[in-house]
Formats: sequence, C-alpha cells, structure tokens
Amino acid sequence: MNAHGAPRMARTATLTWRGIVAGAREIAPVAIFVIPFGIAFGAAAIEKGLSAALAVLMSAFVFAGASQFAALDLWSSPMPYLMLALTVFAVNARHILLGAALAPWLLHLPVAKRYAVLSVLSDPNWAQATRALQRGETDAGLVLGSGLLMWVAWILATGIGAVLGSNLGDLTRFGFDVLMISFFTAAVVGQWRGLPDLVPWLVAAAVALVGASVLPFGWHVVAGALAGGITGALRHG
Amino acid sequence: MVDGTTAFLAIALMAAVTFLTRIGGVVIMSFVPITPRIEAFLRHLAVSVIVALVVPAAVKGGPTAVLAVATAGLVMVLTRSAVGAMLAGVACAALLRALPIPLL
Repeated sequence: MNAHGAPRMARTATLTWRGIVAGAREIAPVAIFVIPFGIAFGAAAIEKGLSAALAVLMSAFVFAGASQFAALDLWSSPMPYLMLALTVFAVNARHILLGAALAPWLLHLPVAKRYAVLSVLSDPNWAQATRALQRGETDAGLVLGSGLLMWVAWILATGIGAVLGSNLGDLTRFGFDVLMISFFTAAVVGQWRGLPDLVPWLVAAAVALVGASVLPFGWHVVAGALAGGITGALRHG
Repeated sequence: MVDGTTAFLAIALMAAVTFLTRIGGVVIMSFVPITPRIEAFLRHLAVSVIVALVVPAAVKGGPTAVLAVATAGLVMVLTRSAVGAMLAGVACAALLRALPIPLL
C-alpha cells in the first residue's frame, strides 16, 4: 500500500459464509460492549411506558441506538409522527454517507445481497469494514456477519434491560460511554496515510465541532464528513 | 399512554426511515459514475465521518473523554490493535473517574 497515492478500493466483491463468520468473530469484543447500551435502552423504554415486547421490537427493526433514544423523548400520545420521522432521519442521516463510502465495493454485489448487507450497517461494523477494505479484503460477508452479531447483541441486551429495568443501575458509568469513541479513534488512526490526510481531517473536525453547537441534533456529523470529503477530493482528485 | 397500534406504526415508520438511510448512499452512488475524483471524495468521506463523530463527542465529554481518546489513539499507533485501543480508552476513562480529584 503506498503512503498517500491512489485510494485502494476493491474492484470486486464476494459474500461468503467464511466472511460472515470471520466478520462476527472480529466484531465480538465490540458487540460485548454494546450490551450495556442496549440494557440502558431497554430500561429507558420501560420507564417511558413501552412494554418489553415493544422495546425489543424497536431494537430489532430499527437497530440504531441514538435514534431509538431520541424517539423515546418524542414517545407520547398523540404520536408526533412527522417529528419522529424527521428526528430519526436526522440522527441516522450519516448512514447515507457510510453507505456511499462503501459503494465502490458493494455495487459489485447482486442487488439482494447488497441490501442485505446494508440492512445491518452500523458505525462499528462500518469502521471495521473500511479497515478490512484497506488491507484488500473483498468479502462483504465481513460486514454482514459483524452487523448480524451487533444486531443480536443489541436485541438481547434490550430484552435484558426491559425485563430487569433500572435495577442494574447505569452501567454506562464504568466508562462504556467512551468505548465507542475510543474504537472510532482507533479506526481513524488506522487509516492514516501521511500528512496530506491532515487537512481534510482538520476540516472535518472543525466543521463538526462548530456544527455541534449551531446545527440541529445529528447534522454536525453529516456536515463535518461532507466538508472533509470535499476537501480531500479537491486536493487529490 | 401510547396504544399498541400507534406504537407499531411508530416503530414501522422509524424502521423504514432508518432502512432508507442505510441503503440511500449506495442507491445514490449507483447513479453516479465513480471517477477517480469521486473515489477520492468517498475515501476522505469515510475517514471524515469518523472524525466528525469522535471530535465533538470527545470535546463534549470533557477532559476525561479527551484523555481516553488520546490513549486509544496512542495504543492504536503502538499496537495496531483496534480492540486493544478500545479497551485502553475505556480503562483510562474508568481510572480517571475513580480518582478522588474530579477533573473539570
């Protein structure tokens, strides 16, 4: 791999059982640490008046923690459907960018497999997938397997939290809240290709920081990512 | 109290919107020819998403989170192990929070 030349993108994509198993195995340590967040969501959902079954149903069908917590804030009768849809879209809009970044790879897959893989796309397994791409992997099973394991962990943890409620206390106090940002930091550092990367990264960081205080909740990530991407394209394109 | 039907509808709506965001990027890119410039954009986009997630979250988390992120970054540089970096960041935060002196 050269230091800061042409990006390395897979020219082909496969989807195998071997990849699915490998992806699940690789994400397992992260999936374990997702459990406290799932438990916290389950407990919070019960406090909001959802049944345990509904909390688990939401985790199974939505599978996007931040937006599920945001939805609990809006959970009332009459249901503010439009606000709910807009909030969920805003919090999850970054998925569009995550997916786009994987497009040069996933577009090589047949349509059904492509969308199956994307249906379990989340931040951690996406970060893992981008690193796998860098080392030349072509098996999209890595994304599907890691996503499925995260999904199962999220559903199980929601169920545990919904049944046990707040009896467990706030598990996130043990530093679990810094877990994700630490993992993402590792993903960023792992992608470092040399000094030319610095400017787009700084632009992304600056725009995201400013955006966090001036933009509606969730949009600073989208703004920062687009700014960094455009800066990179202008400098290297 | 939210009744069952309303709850089902709300969850279905959330699921549909979230699924659209998950497939949206690839759907859009299937209509855009992937030129070298677009590819450079996507590669920088990929890292920038993570930078945009981490930096504001670390700043909002205060000195503890910033130090945890720094530790995670350092461990990643030294060991190239994402899981090791993750555990080091968490350990750092837990340690700082256990200290009798509260950080800012």
